[in-house]
Amino acid sequence: MFDYNFHWRPVMKSLPDLLDAAFLTLQVAVLAMVLGIIIGLCLALIRMHMKGPIRWLASCWVELARNTPALFQLFFFGFGLGAFGLHLSPYMIVLAGLTFNCAGYLAENFRGGFNAVPDTQLRASRSLGMTAWQAYTRIVIPQVFRIVYHPITNQMVWAVLMSSLGMLVGFRELSGETQFFASRTFRIFEYFAVTAVIYYVIVKLILIASRLLATRLFRY
Amino acid sequence: MYKKLAAIAAIATLSTGPALADTLDDVVDRGTLRCGVVLDFPPIGYRDANNEPAGFDVDYCNDLAEALEVEAEVLPVTWAERLPVIVTGRADVVFGATSDSLARARTVGFTIPYAIYYAQGVVNKDSGIESFEDIRGKRVAAAIGTVPEQEWLKIAAEWGEEKNYQGYQSENEVFLAVAQGKADIGITTNTAILPITQQYDSVVAGPRMPWTTDYTSVVGKREDVTWLNYLNLFVTHQVRSGRYDELWGKYVGGDAPELRIPGVMY
Amino acid sequence: MEPTISFFSGFTPNDLLFLGEAALRTLWISVLSITIGTALGVLFGWVLYEGKLAATLTVAPVLDIFRSVPLIIQLVLFYNFAPIVGLNLDPFASGVVILTIYTASLVANVARGGIEAVETPMRRAARSLGMTYWQDLRYVVFPIGGRAVFPAWVGVALGVMKDSALVSVLGYVELLKASQILITRTQEPFLILTIAGAFYFALSYPISRYAASLERKWAQ
Repeated sequence: MFDYNFHWRPVMKSLPDLLDAAFLTLQVAVLAMVLGIIIGLCLALIRMHMKGPIRWLASCWVELARNTPALFQLFFFGFGLGAFGLHLSPYMIVLAGLTFNCAGYLAENFRGGFNAVPDTQLRASRSLGMTAWQAYTRIVIPQVFRIVYHPITNQMVWAVLMSSLGMLVGFRELSGETQFFASRTFRIFEYFAVTAVIYYVIVKLILIASRLLATRLFRY
Repeated sequence: MYKKLAAIAAIATLSTGPALADTLDDVVDRGTLRCGVVLDFPPIGYRDANNEPAGFDVDYCNDLAEALEVEAEVLPVTWAERLPVIVTGRADVVFGATSDSLARARTVGFTIPYAIYYAQGVVNKDSGIESFEDIRGKRVAAAIGTVPEQEWLKIAAEWGEEKNYQGYQSENEVFLAVAQGKADIGITTNTAILPITQQYDSVVAGPRMPWTTDYTSVVGKREDVTWLNYLNLFVTHQVRSGRYDELWGKYVGGDAPELRIPGVMY
Repeated sequence: MEPTISFFSGFTPNDLLFLGEAALRTLWISVLSITIGTALGVLFGWVLYEGKLAATLTVAPVLDIFRSVPLIIQLVLFYNFAPIVGLNLDPFASGVVILTIYTASLVANVARGGIEAVETPMRRAARSLGMTYWQDLRYVVFPIGGRAVFPAWVGVALGVMKDSALVSVLGYVELLKASQILITRTQEPFLILTIAGAFYFALSYPISRYAASLERKWAQ
């Protein structure tokens, strides 16, 4: 039927390597998400409460992250910064690029979350004698996290999918490793088909884990 | 019921049969020759000031199209893509400085050699690399899917320095990485040394690599022997007509290397 | 060593034209994919809403695949698969096909959300006024639901516009690929990446701001 002979054996032989690479993908995505959540939270708070150049910088970060392609951002952390003699390893390029991107998107989610918690709650908790720090960490932020829990899950999935761009900056995560093997055996289709399945499974596992976690965290 | 199924199966086998690949007829009939060419490998394949394809390989493609009396269509490919485009039938022929390794010959068909290269490094002038031994502990860059990559990874494995290797999408990214100082040495071929060191102030010619000369061939579909025969004839005619010398002189400079492998029939 | 201070050497006005043309190609492939993809996506969204069980078992999982596998893997897979089944698609056509399906898979969810946003009593009221099912869809569901999910759709469209940068891996010379070509020729990564980034930003930022302001206006 096809004028093409499928060779699956080489792919199966390198499956252990691909799975190792899949862990690297997961690792860089999780790390980028943790950093992204912390920075995103800071960016959102800065944009809501501060004035002057710091606020402007935070806005720049958010708008640049949201309005340029992720691949562009990776190139920028690669050869763009290289022009100034700042050399990141492929791992760092991907981590920095993903963190930059995730922080920008999450900042907007957090802002929406903060806006959804009424001011009166903050004032009420302050009048109960809580410090501002207590009011934020005990009253506001837990509610914000409940609101942004779903967007964070989505962003986690995006982070995994986006990390595939690593193959274009020389990072040997799942896609990069796939490309490396495919370039040796010239079986692009077979390798990438298997990799697509691995990504699908990773994404599904994340969604299931997130749902399980949600039932533990948010018992209504 | 089984009879019916068997009949259908029989018809299906008959009608699919062994597909007769005949690229030569296809090309002449189609009126276009689709050449896969690597365009980030100056001066063999590159983009000129107008961003149009140019170089030794591009001219070879045009010459072949002229011989066939068809239009040439240049399909820019990366190193990693140049053999898959043949396997999937996206291109009829690849002029891409492809070394004729036995591993690759399991997948695609090779002609007799049409150009000869040897591997050489380009180094950042601050890297302090002068001889091959100096590379120990340095960051090495090469393009994904090339012979230099594979050969280097063998040596790197011996030295235990695979971590220092950086794989890039294209030769030009390798050069840029060396120029910027992201890598200390980029492994490429001797032909690229001159244009690259002229283009980048921070890049100088580096040591020759210890592995053997690269005999590179034109690539076609493995099953299509008549097409490979035609391509062989084309390669011989390019040499006989003096076109090979002319193009080599134009793009690389100096005398064209003799395309003969000493001591063995080819 | 100051390799990148000589900003304009090697970069000619001609190259700006080259980038401009590439930008138009980015625009063209995006507009084409977003238009067809949206039309398909709305159709799928309607099928998902009306089809219930049957659609959940057929259309939904297929669309889900396109949301759970990195776009870059989809592009590489399809580009290498097409010739196997005898389709000789160039990078542009392959890019349009995948971007369209990708858009459709994202828009389908948005569209279903839009239909769900219109409350049942409202639709019943429309039907009891004598409207046919299609009139109800056209004059009640479309304007109200469409308004509810318009910002989400703009998000998807802008996302696809940015993601069209990935078609560069197939060799289609859109904006990001053109900048790569120029970077390798002129060795000015910072300048060229800045120009490319500015273009994406100039396209995406005003639209996202406009959508946000519309959202605020409609929310009042």
